[in-house]
Amino acid sequence: MSKDLSTWLDTLLNELQGIEVRRRSSRRIRVDVQPDALPALLELLRGRASYVHLSAISCVDWIDEGEFELVYHVWSYEIGSLVSAHTRIARDPGVYISVYDIYTPAAFFERDIHEMFGVFFEGSPDMSRFILTEWDGPPPMRKDFDSEAWVNAHFDFQDYQPDWLQEIEAKGGGVAVRPDEQRFSRRDLDAS
Amino acid sequence: MRPENYEAQRQPPSHEYELNIGPNHPGIEGNYAFKLRLHGDTVLEGKADAGYLHRGFEKLMEGRLWIQNLAITPRICVPDPVPMEVSYVLAVEELCGLEVPERAQWLRVLQLELSRIAAHLFTFGGHAATTGMYSTMFWGMADRDLVLDLFEELTGGRVYHIYNIPGGVRRDIPDGFLDRVKRTLDYLESRLPDYDNLLFTNQVFVQRAKGVGTMSREQALEWGVTGPNLRATGLKFDVRRDDPYLVYEDLEFEIPSEEAGDAWARTLVRRKELVESIRIARQVVAALPKIRGTIRCPIPNPLAWSVPAGSAYTRVESSKGELAWYVVSNGGERPYRTHVRGPSQMHAVQVLEKLSVGARLEDIAQTMFSLDACPPEVDR
Repeated sequence: MSKDLSTWLDTLLNELQGIEVRRRSSRRIRVDVQPDALPALLELLRGRASYVHLSAISCVDWIDEGEFELVYHVWSYEIGSLVSAHTRIARDPGVYISVYDIYTPAAFFERDIHEMFGVFFEGSPDMSRFILTEWDGPPPMRKDFDSEAWVNAHFDFQDYQPDWLQEIEAKGGGVAVRPDEQRFSRRDLDAS
Repeated sequence: MRPENYEAQRQPPSHEYELNIGPNHPGIEGNYAFKLRLHGDTVLEGKADAGYLHRGFEKLMEGRLWIQNLAITPRICVPDPVPMEVSYVLAVEELCGLEVPERAQWLRVLQLELSRIAAHLFTFGGHAATTGMYSTMFWGMADRDLVLDLFEELTGGRVYHIYNIPGGVRRDIPDGFLDRVKRTLDYLESRLPDYDNLLFTNQVFVQRAKGVGTMSREQALEWGVTGPNLRATGLKFDVRRDDPYLVYEDLEFEIPSEEAGDAWARTLVRRKELVESIRIARQVVAALPKIRGTIRCPIPNPLAWSVPAGSAYTRVESSKGELAWYVVSNGGERPYRTHVRGPSQMHAVQVLEKLSVGARLEDIAQTMFSLDACPPEVDR
């Protein structure tokens, strides 16, 4: 059974135009594909070569190239190999098509990527906030999002000097990192 | 700023009402919320709500050295931290092309299986508690503590071990450690009949768990379910056997499965896996004295370590299912991107939402615990 399926897989990967296949090991195949051909590739992988399990969709922000890389990891229980299909979409406007109709688990990953990177997936069942319910800033996993600058701009710092610590310090003791040595100190912000 | 989670409420028909389970509730695992719409005791709709435990680990890891990130990885899933460590370390090793000494691989397997035993004992307790049986939880916690004692001796940490490093493990086993592992395994095995009497053949539990949260094999495959939840529907798939890593190819173990696909079947699969994990751990204990050599290969100065550019996707079988890290390097001293795929991202969100429709209110907590949902994996 699985031998027949691997033949299907080889035929499929050989015949498709515009894809680049690299076999990294006996159970890992990397495929680079144009964004307009990716849904068709996944459809064929699932329908003809038994890749029924979508393990994950990963997103990488290649900010210098102005692109998002989307990686679809699909696994075949029968052939026993994992295909990672890499595709790149333009960072602006960052819109792509959902593969929810091919793989149900895609709904979670697409919602997550939308929340963290701001990529909108057309046709995905739910693009509402999930983890960052109260968040009103830019998508935080983007490379141009600076956590430290965001924190400094949005939160107030308070030096930690409770009475008990002051008593200990008066006797010459103290904590390992003294309040005035803290990396984030209200005093530095006030001074600058 | 808006009040938390504010949205205009649509008015439900007068016989419907809403109920929030969580974020702080004994019937929920971790800081997680499950919002229900009910008619009487019957659930009409369930919506998972994460975000109460979000620590931004993936972003945090982009700003820290490869070696510093080891301290973050186990914290993603508290009950079963070892697979997180191992999976991340395997990815870094794949990127660097490091050859891990055999002894280190066996030590990792020992640690992984002990962690699986501890996690399953934890889950049994939580699951039993949702049916009102708290003794299993006390027993499970006490027995899990014996495994944590072993971890403390081996790694210095009871819960977060940070024992695996790229290229091997941090330290070798202390003198007499294998004897103590053997004794603990013997003890845990001798406890199994007691657990059977208390929980697994207890009609109070059996009657409550049978037919609850049932999914077919087709549904499980469609919804991306992995691990014991998938095996409870009859598909014998285990990453350890079907996509082997470390030295699992050299070990003998069975893949337990059940056909029913309900909460009861899922619990039985975990019960059988406990036996298999004890069996694997025994094989490691028997083999380790014969495997000599170093416990890690040489690595560059970890504080100035540039990992070659590339990407790696490494999967391991955690106690909850398929766990994977996708790690990307651009040749720098820090990861360019890390992405964790936790098994609970499937069964704590979509699957739980689907299984809760039409269920009774009192079975919701049980469904969630029988799926072994780990919300920290969803939130990261």
